Amino acid sequence: MFVRESGAGYLLAGLAIVSALLVTLETATRLLEPVRSGIASVVAPIQLIAHLPYSIGEGVGDVVASQDSLLSENQQLERRVLELSQVSQQFLALKAENERLRELLSSRARLSAEVLIAELVSVIPAPDTHQIIIDKGSSSGVYPGQAVIDSEGLFGQVVEVGAFTSRVLLITDIRHALPVEVNRSGVRSIAGGTGRIDQLVLEHVPVTADIREGDLVVSSGLGGLFPRGYPVGRVESVLVMSTQSFAQITVRPSAALDRSRHVLLIFDRQGQGEAPAVTAEPSQETDADSEPEADLSGDAP
Amino acid sequence: MNPAQGGWLIFLTLMVAMVLSALYLPQDWPQWLAWLRPTWVMLAVFFWVVEVPHRIGLISTWLIGLLVDVLYAEPLGLNGLILSILTFVTWRFYERLRMFSIPQQGGVVFLLILMGEAMRMVVLNLTMDRELTWMMVLPALTSLALWPFVWPVLTSAKNRFRVE
Repeated sequence: MFVRESGAGYLLAGLAIVSALLVTLETATRLLEPVRSGIASVVAPIQLIAHLPYSIGEGVGDVVASQDSLLSENQQLERRVLELSQVSQQFLALKAENERLRELLSSRARLSAEVLIAELVSVIPAPDTHQIIIDKGSSSGVYPGQAVIDSEGLFGQVVEVGAFTSRVLLITDIRHALPVEVNRSGVRSIAGGTGRIDQLVLEHVPVTADIREGDLVVSSGLGGLFPRGYPVGRVESVLVMSTQSFAQITVRPSAALDRSRHVLLIFDRQGQGEAPAVTAEPSQETDADSEPEADLSGDAP
Repeated sequence: MNPAQGGWLIFLTLMVAMVLSALYLPQDWPQWLAWLRPTWVMLAVFFWVVEVPHRIGLISTWLIGLLVDVLYAEPLGLNGLILSILTFVTWRFYERLRMFSIPQQGGVVFLLILMGEAMRMVVLNLTMDRELTWMMVLPALTSLALWPFVWPVLTSAKNRFRVE
């Protein structure tokens, strides 16, 4: 009775047209980003509620942790701090030297400046995409396209910013690709996601390229989106077939993409290279700052 | 009886359905298990349309779909359209559906959700390069399997709070 009397068929047809229009608009343009951000702020409480079991689990784990485990964890952390402070001392000297050399070449040092720690609050619950929600949004200055790293390497990029949360596309998502270079030989390539959380592929690498198993792959910064020099992964296998012009190279991501609960957002609007040089200031976030950069100095050629 | 009674219950069940959809697997579990997730929001909408068809509108289900879109990072409008089609079809047959036994209703649920998932998969394939896969049958199957449990829970809630 509702259908026949109310003309709901026309309404449904109208909604179908609106939906088709929205889907097309969103695929082709970025016009709907503000709408999405608005809705994301509405949906955030739902995600936070769905995250409760995990936060409660963590809280309980913190409360009932035994003294032994805390002690051993503390020892581990102290050891790690020592290691890292040694590396960062080296790093400071290297940085100064690097800046001097760059001044001689009258080119600018490009080191990313500030970071912000964010915590994972949700995972997009679809099995065929790799996206997470973090607990920092536009109120903390997060912007779309921002690079996200964890303590081990490059993690992903921000694709949607709500008021208090934002969505991050991981580097292994099937839709993600980022410009990289091989640290040892300098060969440039694109690391594309495969939809598997433990694998990336280097695309369109000629069979003659100098890439070996175990090589460190770092971001090259060429796309202008990711800052240069963050570890992306290690080459896992190189398959060269004589019948094909491209080698099949898989990379295992360095970042703990399926384990990290804390990630760092990098503020690097100067990444385009036009802005004046940014000197990395070990400001209030020194502890967070030193970690990724320390990784770098360890691998510097 | 007050015709607007119990609207909050409908809203609440939809919110619960959304929280259930937003729950994610612990990250060390095999991620393919996520294919088994029943489509909670569709189940809830189906139930309410069958029971109180005059309380659920096409536009309100479409708006709920917008929330689901953002929850699942899917193109805006997709889930709204799926939900409104589900509402529309269920409207057509709600008198008959009320007479159905639970397994029969489950069969209808299965078909409706299968249709919705197929649509979702095709649109996601076109817009987001997601793969076309037979896995999309699984949410429909688990929803079918859960219907005998969802139905009595929602029915008792409905009777208890006299949603008319």
